[in-house]
Amino acid sequence: MAQLFPKWTNQLPLLAAVGATVVLVGIIGLFWYYGSPNYTDVGYRPVQPVPYSHKLHAGDLGVDCRYCHTGVETGPVAGVPPTKTCMNCHAMIKTDSEVLQPVFTSYNENRPLEWIRVHKSPDYVYFDHSAHLTAGVGCESCHGNVAEMEVVELRESLSMGWCLDCHRNPDDHLRPGSELTNMWWTPGEGQEQFAAQLKLEKDIKPPIEDCSGCHR
Amino acid sequence: MPSIKENTELTPGKTYWRSLDQLADTPEFREMVQREFPEGASELNNPVSRRKFLSIMGASMALAGLTSCRRPVEKIIPHVIKPEDVTPGVPKYYASTMPFGNESFGVVVENHDGRPTKIEGNEKHALSAGRSNTWMQAEMLNMYDPDRVQIPRKSGTISNWQAFESAWKQQYDKYLETEGEGLAILSEPFSSPSLRRLKDEFQKTFPRARWVSYAPVSDENITRAVEAATGTTGTIEYAFDKADVVLALDADFLLMETGSIKYSRDFMARRRVSSEKDSMNRLYVAEAAMSITGGMADHRMRLRAGDIGPFAAALANELESQGLDVNIGSAVAPWKDHSFDRKWLQAVAADLIKHKGRSIVLAGRSQPSNVHVLVAAINEALRNRDRTVIYRNNPDSSLSSVDDLKDLTDDMDAGEITGLIILGNNPVYQAPSDLNFEQVLSQVAFTAHLGSHADETAQAVQWLLPQSHFLESWGDVSGNGSRGIVQPLIAPLFNSRSALEMAALIVHGKASSGHDLVRETWAGILPETGFEKAWRKTLHDGVHTNSDEELLKLRYPESIQTYLENNRIFANSGVHEIIFKASASTYDGRYANNGWMQELPDSITKLTWDNAALMSRETAAGLGVKNQDLIELSLDNRNVRLPVWIQPGMADGSIALEIGYGRKHAGRIANGTGVDVNPVRQRDGMDFSTRISVRKLSGSYALACVQDHHGADEELLAQHAIQDRLPELVREATLAEYREHPEFAMGLAEEESLENMWQDVELEGKHQWGMSIDLNACTGCSSCTIACQSENNIPVIGKEEVMNGREMHWLRMDRYYSGDVDDPEVVVQPVGCQHCEMAPCEQVCPVAATTHSEEGLNQMAYNRCVGTRYCANNCPYKVRRFNYFNFTKDLPEIVQMAQNPDVTVRFRGVMEKCTYCVQRIEVGRITAKNEGRELADGDVVSACQQACPTDAIVFGDLKDPESRVSRVKEQNRDYAMLGELNLRPRTSYLAKLRNPNPALEQHT
Repeated sequence: MAQLFPKWTNQLPLLAAVGATVVLVGIIGLFWYYGSPNYTDVGYRPVQPVPYSHKLHAGDLGVDCRYCHTGVETGPVAGVPPTKTCMNCHAMIKTDSEVLQPVFTSYNENRPLEWIRVHKSPDYVYFDHSAHLTAGVGCESCHGNVAEMEVVELRESLSMGWCLDCHRNPDDHLRPGSELTNMWWTPGEGQEQFAAQLKLEKDIKPPIEDCSGCHR
Repeated sequence: MPSIKENTELTPGKTYWRSLDQLADTPEFREMVQREFPEGASELNNPVSRRKFLSIMGASMALAGLTSCRRPVEKIIPHVIKPEDVTPGVPKYYASTMPFGNESFGVVVENHDGRPTKIEGNEKHALSAGRSNTWMQAEMLNMYDPDRVQIPRKSGTISNWQAFESAWKQQYDKYLETEGEGLAILSEPFSSPSLRRLKDEFQKTFPRARWVSYAPVSDENITRAVEAATGTTGTIEYAFDKADVVLALDADFLLMETGSIKYSRDFMARRRVSSEKDSMNRLYVAEAAMSITGGMADHRMRLRAGDIGPFAAALANELESQGLDVNIGSAVAPWKDHSFDRKWLQAVAADLIKHKGRSIVLAGRSQPSNVHVLVAAINEALRNRDRTVIYRNNPDSSLSSVDDLKDLTDDMDAGEITGLIILGNNPVYQAPSDLNFEQVLSQVAFTAHLGSHADETAQAVQWLLPQSHFLESWGDVSGNGSRGIVQPLIAPLFNSRSALEMAALIVHGKASSGHDLVRETWAGILPETGFEKAWRKTLHDGVHTNSDEELLKLRYPESIQTYLENNRIFANSGVHEIIFKASASTYDGRYANNGWMQELPDSITKLTWDNAALMSRETAAGLGVKNQDLIELSLDNRNVRLPVWIQPGMADGSIALEIGYGRKHAGRIANGTGVDVNPVRQRDGMDFSTRISVRKLSGSYALACVQDHHGADEELLAQHAIQDRLPELVREATLAEYREHPEFAMGLAEEESLENMWQDVELEGKHQWGMSIDLNACTGCSSCTIACQSENNIPVIGKEEVMNGREMHWLRMDRYYSGDVDDPEVVVQPVGCQHCEMAPCEQVCPVAATTHSEEGLNQMAYNRCVGTRYCANNCPYKVRRFNYFNFTKDLPEIVQMAQNPDVTVRFRGVMEKCTYCVQRIEVGRITAKNEGRELADGDVVSACQQACPTDAIVFGDLKDPESRVSRVKEQNRDYAMLGELNLRPRTSYLAKLRNPNPALEQHT
């Protein structure tokens, strides 16, 4: 009686095993890449109710970040400015602008503007802006060069791994107090000594395995 | 329980036990200790209970839609114009005052971005002095109660304030013409300059109308006694910090009596020791129902409430015979012949005489006025007045009066009352049942009820008007030598008004704002020049250290002799004496719809979610009942049925009932929880009565008692010598023993410690956190438990889940009995996570969700936890709590506003436990760094420490040798619970001391 299965079928189990492995690795790889915040979150740039340009205000006009984000040095939240802050200038400037209409409406009708959050950490993470500024971490380290963004977008993944990268080795991100809001600052010569000096002075020990530093 | 006596007799030395079940070592108890949770706790085999749970937590909340698999869109909504000095995310603190009957507590309220989230005591306030009790903490939840009345209603249909205003205006004009004939206001008692001013104006505008104040729990007996003894109504205040000997007669001054926060603190000031050289005060207690004051006593005598008067009379005679001239004539002479323990009496009398001017005799609010008058005479003879006992009159007060209420209901019954305004109280539920309030209320033509809930009274009135919470309204208070302002923390959540605003509307016929009313009153209190500055300072401080109160002198001895002659002291007769007392959880019912309070185990009984008929073993045997059997109490065709709970330490023949349960219309939590005992509470027996008949019913009712849950377990505790081991968990000695063996607390531990199971680690953090709990100062008031619940977003789980042993409190209050099974001593011990340096829980977590920080914290990363519960199994202290359900999922949106935004809300399947308030540590650390300074001792205060009225809990940095906690831990009473396991817990305890009178036999 002839063989029911041709000889090549002997390879089937091996092929199946290899195939399954390839598919499995592929699926994991897909999730690894497409499921990570680097893919899902970075580049998020929602349309805001007012097309506010950070490039114009912070970049070209040179308005300091802290003019609007007043809580950044004193509280956990940097804060989005109240409408009144816009009106400090725009009561005089561009009073007939189309795109500023929502701002004027908000101010006149005492109804807050509803901005869309771009930078978000999960509810079980307690990020404190003031702690990072006190330590000497600048805005740009996490937010990217906002002064060059027409529309603010998410530049970093804000994942736990990304946080820990810096918490483990903060040296490149520590800068002098005067440069905190400088978007174009780069670590120069002697950054290593400067960072070592600063860490000693300010007793900087970012929590690494102390979970409760961020999770409470 | 036949084996109880045998078991106790077998074990030599001091015997500790948690419950009668344990003492008898029943199979049920063995199983309870051996299992981490009761049988079936990890199964969801009762869908009904799940449904009941859902109804408890309320089912609102929009479902979060699956908008996309990517991030949901989140909005940031800033102010339009930001108020000055507000930083988003940084809480602000405001001073206010919480009125509580005639009492008031100064509070400082934490306000997160415009919503109040946590209440603390105000350091500047005379009564609270920075501390709090459970009710102050629980007010947070009362304000965010979704069952509050939200809109005015007329005869059940939706209406508005304008409609009521015009309806009242018609009545107002009518009453103006008749000088208020037939008009009455029924309010809660108060001590408030503004309300008092309105009350006086009311009497002027409507001379023939009346204003009656009534509360079901009040100091009426005391104020009437003060009136009899001094000629002016007033209150009694005590200076426990100046007293060496205290005799409390049915007075739970550490928890339930007026002034308890201050009294706890002052009492401990004379009791705290730091070394064997210090002295302690001595507390004698005679009482019917076991209270935490009785638990604290050095000598406690079980006495029926009706025997307290005769006991005081016998004491007066004894004092006379020992040479003290009490000078009350012949009124108490018959009590020379009595059956009380003469040795006890002699020892107490001798101790009191020895500490003349430094002693206090006090009687509780439930004792009749003649007992208080007699006690006043004793204090006078002991020269305690103006030293430790102060009589004071407060002209800003309106005091509760049952007689006034009786006159009012009589007139209502006779049809002479045509308009009744009820300000805040709930007489249909609270009034003595023989007044038939609900029935006579229907005879009044115009009725309006300002109330927080659509309660029992609301069902029977025309106008139901929503009442503002004190955190939403302006007001003022006075008492204890100062005045304070009630300052709103948030605009009213609903369309409500305060009692003050309502009173003004009634008196003036038109609405005015609470703010204006208070300022108007205070224009007469603060100096005219610089008023604005003084006003702002008062708002900032919350208190104004001045009042019109005056000290009263006793009309002694003549008036007192005459009074006692006319109001003789009698013992009550009858087999059973029924005692009514306020609940330590729901008080008079006002906290009945508060999940925190319902689920808080009573300090002594450890019962949750229910009230029961508390009685001694002998009383129960006489009735032929056992725990959870139903009995029926009857009086004048009114019946109450409730379960029995056998309470060690109860006087034989006394049956104690807690009021404040069994609400019919108070909200989703309160309705049907517990039993309303008011139907058998009549005017002649508001405090205790022997007219009520008792009989056994068939059937039983399951009570949720937590006393055997989460027992610290040492090698199958139940099997091996429980009684031998418990003295190691909670250590105590008498002062004399302590002086002889200053190191006794350490000596009780096993000599050699076990070897480390794991490699030793050196913790290198800059701070090393630790806690010390002084068992000598802990009264068991449970203020810490509720403060912790409020601070750490701990869920309420419902009665069924409590019975499954799933209660979530991070800080539990263990209560141990010792000694005589019927007349035991009590020790309480707060137990939270001990933050072991060699934590066994961390070793068994498969996902490293619980780890150790460099600063010695045993931390939980909730998001990592997969819910194996290995850690809880491996914890010898049983302090870990597991979320069997997503307990917060169905939390109504308004209740979510009470959550602390600095603490993660935990999900189903996650383990949690005390974190040493790590959120406060982090905020303290970051603030110090931002300000460029070192973290100082006292910068970080844990929630339990902050609430503790007696400063029993100290938290801080162990690495700093000068910190308070380091210094406290150096005391020789310091010991670690289960220290021999060598887990090196960061929480340690200071052993308890008692100071028994050597003249009385030594307690074993």
